[in-house]
Amino acid sequence: MTAAGPPQPTAPPEAAVAEPRRRLHPLSPVLHGAKSIAVVVAALSWQTLSQVGLERFALVVAVIAVAVVIFSIFGWLTTGYQVVGRELRITDGVIWRRNRAIPLERLQAVELRRPLLAQLTGLAELRLEVIGGGKTEAPLAYLTVREASALRQRLLALAGRTQAAAQPTDQLADAAPAAPAFERPLLRVRNRDLVVSQLLTPQAFFLPVGVAFVVLQFVMEGSWTFVGIASTVTAMAGVLLQPVRRVLQDWDFRLARDPEERLGVRYGLLETRSQIVPLNRVQAVGATWPLLWRGQGWLHLRLAVAGYAGEGGGDAKRSDRLLPVGEFDTARSLVWEVLPGVDLAALATSPPPKRARWLNPIALRSIGVGLTPEVLVTRWGLLTREMHLVPYARLQSVRVVQGPLQRMLGLATVYADTARGRSGQAKDRDLAEAYALAAELAVRARQARKPDSATPEAYWQSPTRP
Amino acid sequence: MTVDALTPWPDTVEWRSVSPKLITVELIVRWSWTVIVAAGLCVGLVLQGHWLWQLGIALVVVNAIWRSFVTVRAVRAWGYAERDQDLLVRHGLLVRRLSIVPYARMQFVDVTAGPLERAFGLATVQLHTAAAASDAQIPGVPPAEAARLRDRLTTLGEDRAEGL
Repeated sequence: MTAAGPPQPTAPPEAAVAEPRRRLHPLSPVLHGAKSIAVVVAALSWQTLSQVGLERFALVVAVIAVAVVIFSIFGWLTTGYQVVGRELRITDGVIWRRNRAIPLERLQAVELRRPLLAQLTGLAELRLEVIGGGKTEAPLAYLTVREASALRQRLLALAGRTQAAAQPTDQLADAAPAAPAFERPLLRVRNRDLVVSQLLTPQAFFLPVGVAFVVLQFVMEGSWTFVGIASTVTAMAGVLLQPVRRVLQDWDFRLARDPEERLGVRYGLLETRSQIVPLNRVQAVGATWPLLWRGQGWLHLRLAVAGYAGEGGGDAKRSDRLLPVGEFDTARSLVWEVLPGVDLAALATSPPPKRARWLNPIALRSIGVGLTPEVLVTRWGLLTREMHLVPYARLQSVRVVQGPLQRMLGLATVYADTARGRSGQAKDRDLAEAYALAAELAVRARQARKPDSATPEAYWQSPTRP
Repeated sequence: MTVDALTPWPDTVEWRSVSPKLITVELIVRWSWTVIVAAGLCVGLVLQGHWLWQLGIALVVVNAIWRSFVTVRAVRAWGYAERDQDLLVRHGLLVRRLSIVPYARMQFVDVTAGPLERAFGLATVQLHTAAAASDAQIPGVPPAEAARLRDRLTTLGEDRAEGL
């Protein structure tokens, strides 16, 4: 475990080590152990207790408790953290050793948490939030409260931000509906359109079928059975839930641009919600033309916005709508607003080579990829047409993947990953073209990152809200 | 321009391969499992003596031999390259993957090592970005190289941007 012998990957290589590795609080293994024991006892359950008798049960629990605490102690011995230059290194793992280096510039927030057990013992847990990760990536549990707050101050100071700026309140938080009066309204979706659009969904079309089924049953059997009706109604309610929820959620959907050029979104019938989206957090924009909306020429737009786990109370509450329903011209002006310089009407895409037909027998012509000066455009879907726009400045990584079938045909798929939402996918391109595309994307992403306007410094230094 | 899915841009990119010792590690893991499963099947054979058990053992062993060859090739196919601005990682035989991850997008770097890896003096370096999909993982790197890589990655990543 901690024994000498095999070279340790965790050994700091340079003389940049500013300070010794520090351990967590000695009570941590006990607290961690207590949690596991609670789980074990719950798993053993009362049934086991009644079967084996109290004495044996207590013995089993005691043995498990000792084992857990011993394991936790080993864990505690191998866990450590140290600040090296401008990065924090966290070492942990008993058998599988892990050494994590987090550049402090990337810290979004440092949260000091005190769960119940920690409160009883006067300890605290420090959670370091980095962006994009669905969960908190680096919890330091547990430290004394003083130690934790000192470390937090230090990390924030090293990260070059004041404590106030690191608070997530000014980012994606679901702000109170009270809005500054001087914002510029962009759009208001008519509720009639919203209802009509949700009636034009496959689920809504199911309704008459369901009613007909019930009536048919009535005619055939000549009697109403309560169970039959109830189950049919339940099934219909389940199917209709989504469009109904959409209507309730997107009711009175309004978009505005606030003085700091952020996007204000307000929506909801039963529960009015409002979100502020800084435009530099927009990772991608998706447009969908559902089959049944074609008659109206409608489409809807989605936003992929990046945040981190501790932000704004989770993503479940956050809507990804930019436009629940609207005409093409509306969508076009909105896209221009969100991604300046991108014209939804002028996005040319090229289809994959002909031999990709083997992999996409029907929908080959609907697949396409295009590069505009600002965004990567991907397009797919025959019946429900979809388009995905990824600004180069938001690219996280580029991947080229070639499956076995693709290899036989000399094809490959290029993925452009973003922090939130689906990756842009250039499906089944010619292999040489795929590599060229990947290289081009990498170059364009690098160039797009350069201008300072998009860096967080500009964002952090933007005039702070009162 | 010749295109090979395993070595893209051979002219401009200097690909480095992972340590051949990783082959040994992977083979040990694979054969340990094979021995365990085969031993279980042997117990069944002794107890029951049905020919299906023999067939099972044969299948397990043949599979292990076949996968051993694949492992050798797969480890050789794993490669990485450090460019000025980004890290390239390629791997996979059946499904061939190439990842291009800019240093500026890195959120944090993990260096992990399991017990067997440590015994052979190897470690795994993994670069995390804000995108869950990007996979930049390099196994079978000697610890010194892993530490160098990690320091280089974190230094290059520190361009004072939040990486979005």
